[in-house]
Amino acid sequence: MPNMNNHVGPRQQSQSSRRQLLGLAAGLALPLPRSAVASDGPLKFGLTPVFLNNDIELLSKLKDYLSRQTGRDVQLVQRRTYEEITTLLLSGQLTAAWICGYPLVQYPDQLTLLAVPLWNGQPLYSSYLIVSAGRQAGSIEDLRGDLHAFSDPNSNSGYLVTAALFAERGLRPEQFFRQTIFTYGHRNVVRAVASGLAQSGSVDGYVWEVMASLEPALTSKTVVIHRSELLGFPPVACLSRQAKDGDVLIMQRALFAMAGDAGGREVLKLLRLDGFAEEPTSLFDPIAAKMRLVRSLTL
Amino acid sequence: MKSFWRGQESWVPSWSVAVRVPVVVAFLMLAISVMVSNRVLNRLEDTQERNLRELSSAYLDGLSASLIPSVVREDVWEVFDTLDRSRERYRGLNVQWAAVTNSDNRTIAASSPDEFPPLEALPADTVAMFSARQEVLLDESGMQARMMRSLIYQDREIGRIYAVADISALMQERSDTLRELILTNVALTLLLVAFGYYFMRKMLKPVGLLSGYLARSKEGSMSSIPDDVLDREGREFRELFTRYNAMTEAVNEREMLAAELAEEEKLASVGRLASGMAHEINNPLGGMFNALDSLKKYGAREEVRVTSIRLLEQGLSGIRELVRSTLTTYRSDQRPRDLTATDLDDLRLLVKPEARERKLRLDWQIDLEVPVQVPAVPVRDAILNLLLNACHSSQEGGLVGLRAVVQDSKFIAEVSDGGVGLPPHVREYLERKGAGASPLDRRSGLGLWIVKRHCDELNARLEVARSNGNGTTIRLIVPLAGEMEHAA
Repeated sequence: MPNMNNHVGPRQQSQSSRRQLLGLAAGLALPLPRSAVASDGPLKFGLTPVFLNNDIELLSKLKDYLSRQTGRDVQLVQRRTYEEITTLLLSGQLTAAWICGYPLVQYPDQLTLLAVPLWNGQPLYSSYLIVSAGRQAGSIEDLRGDLHAFSDPNSNSGYLVTAALFAERGLRPEQFFRQTIFTYGHRNVVRAVASGLAQSGSVDGYVWEVMASLEPALTSKTVVIHRSELLGFPPVACLSRQAKDGDVLIMQRALFAMAGDAGGREVLKLLRLDGFAEEPTSLFDPIAAKMRLVRSLTL
Repeated sequence: MKSFWRGQESWVPSWSVAVRVPVVVAFLMLAISVMVSNRVLNRLEDTQERNLRELSSAYLDGLSASLIPSVVREDVWEVFDTLDRSRERYRGLNVQWAAVTNSDNRTIAASSPDEFPPLEALPADTVAMFSARQEVLLDESGMQARMMRSLIYQDREIGRIYAVADISALMQERSDTLRELILTNVALTLLLVAFGYYFMRKMLKPVGLLSGYLARSKEGSMSSIPDDVLDREGREFRELFTRYNAMTEAVNEREMLAAELAEEEKLASVGRLASGMAHEINNPLGGMFNALDSLKKYGAREEVRVTSIRLLEQGLSGIRELVRSTLTTYRSDQRPRDLTATDLDDLRLLVKPEARERKLRLDWQIDLEVPVQVPAVPVRDAILNLLLNACHSSQEGGLVGLRAVVQDSKFIAEVSDGGVGLPPHVREYLERKGAGASPLDRRSGLGLWIVKRHCDELNARLEVARSNGNGTTIRLIVPLAGEMEHAA
């Protein structure tokens, strides 16, 4: 069970997170403070269905790596939706979770940034708008009246970015599209568009690119017609009030150490990532701005 | 069947048993093949249909269970995802497409969204392809299995699953099975036909052997089948061959006896002829001795001397004629020569003693100007026997006639008598071709047998032109030498 004793206010946590992480990185060899002593129970690491729905090998290697690195039993917790994972995290049932930038900015007071993956050397990615291959669609305007596939209502790249794109024009997605569906997985968005179930979709650019190298037959049935600006990569976060718990810190330390470990590199290779880094929460400010834009239209 | 195999219009009347049996085997195999193939295909069809129905049912059960929550929510993605995944899971069913509709029969999602887009009504002609009464409808011509199931949730129909499976693989399996059956049966039939032919040939070999021996017997005396050949055969044919050999012995014995009898008859007839000749010679002898006496006593008288010498000359001439014709008939060193009118005229002298004894009249009509191209000796011998027979058959004072002519390249000699006619079996014996192989019976008819033997040698035939209470006319017809060669 996570240590509930070391309670820190959300705002305070948010402001001081970067400094804490830097301090942690500097003092890796030092004994943890008393309040940060790890508990005995298993570490629970939540995973949103980013793209690795079926990758048993990856999950197994990630679990092995985290267990070995933390010296603790690690449980990987998966749920179908972002919301379920976020709720588990918010309710203190997870040590940490790999969530999305959107839930992080939705709960700035409750959640604290632990680490951000590096893709192509940067903690950044973008959202893609895709259509079926062979379709004559040059601009977003051509997608009017489509059945559009979103990934998850709490996904940045799979919903928020596209919703913000329309909010800029004073539209809600359901006003522009004939119908929208949620597939609860970026890979599912690609499947929906590739099969013709949906005429267009909003998908995580990182997921689409990785799929293009792993499943070219599937992605070749889709075409990217719009790429968003670069945004903060889906981060690993923890409950702010547990940010100084030993369990959280050893988890964070394990993530940072991944690129320097052979087993960790195997995991990163499967994920096509370079490693995990400490980044400022401000990295996600553009996502927060998009959220506010969309909310301004719907609320 | 009788007309099929034996009727005149049958198309296999002359086929040998060695061919007929394999043909019957082939027909039987064909009938069996058709029957067995039909049964196998029916069973295969039943099994395939049952399997298909079970698989379809399992498919629909599985889909229903996973789909109902999504259909209640009309969750397009979940329905599509379920259908898409089921395609892999039920690969054996080979589903072409599947669509799930809501209670308004609008498509929630289909496995092929291009064909059946979400939210649109399923086309009426598509819906009409399915049966409301039958969950699985087989369309064998279209090679499709059409499945439809209502999705019931809390006693209400919330939607339907429509699916079409490709069953061409099943049809292919049927045609493959049929092809395999045909090939196997054809191969089996050919094998059995070949075996049948081979074994029938092998089994009938002894029959051919026996037939060969029988055929050879026509050319001469019958020969027995050697013991080593006999021992090679199975029990049935060994028995048959043993019986054949017994029969051969009996026939040969009978032939030998008949030949002996013929010899005896010949001797007897020679005796008769000799006695007749003695009689003929004796008749003028009395007159000649009287003439000699007259010469002795009254030789000095001119008229007595002249008369006696004439009488002596006449008597000696008669004796010389008789001796000459006898020599001509019975000389053994004669070379084959053509028949002349003189040969037939001589016969008159030879039968004369017999005729005189019975007070018969002889009527000779020989119409031959040049030698006839038929062997003189056997023809004359045959006619002599017919004439002697005619003399025996005729009643006292009757008429025995010989008429000879050449007509249509054939020499024809007609011997007639004034007897009571021929018994039917004798007439049949005379007219039957090849009857010369054996005598009419052991005790009589040896003269006729000699005639028949000559006929067989000469390729001649006998005709009974007349046979009634007033007499008999037997016609001997001999083809001329040129004709025989031509005929040969």
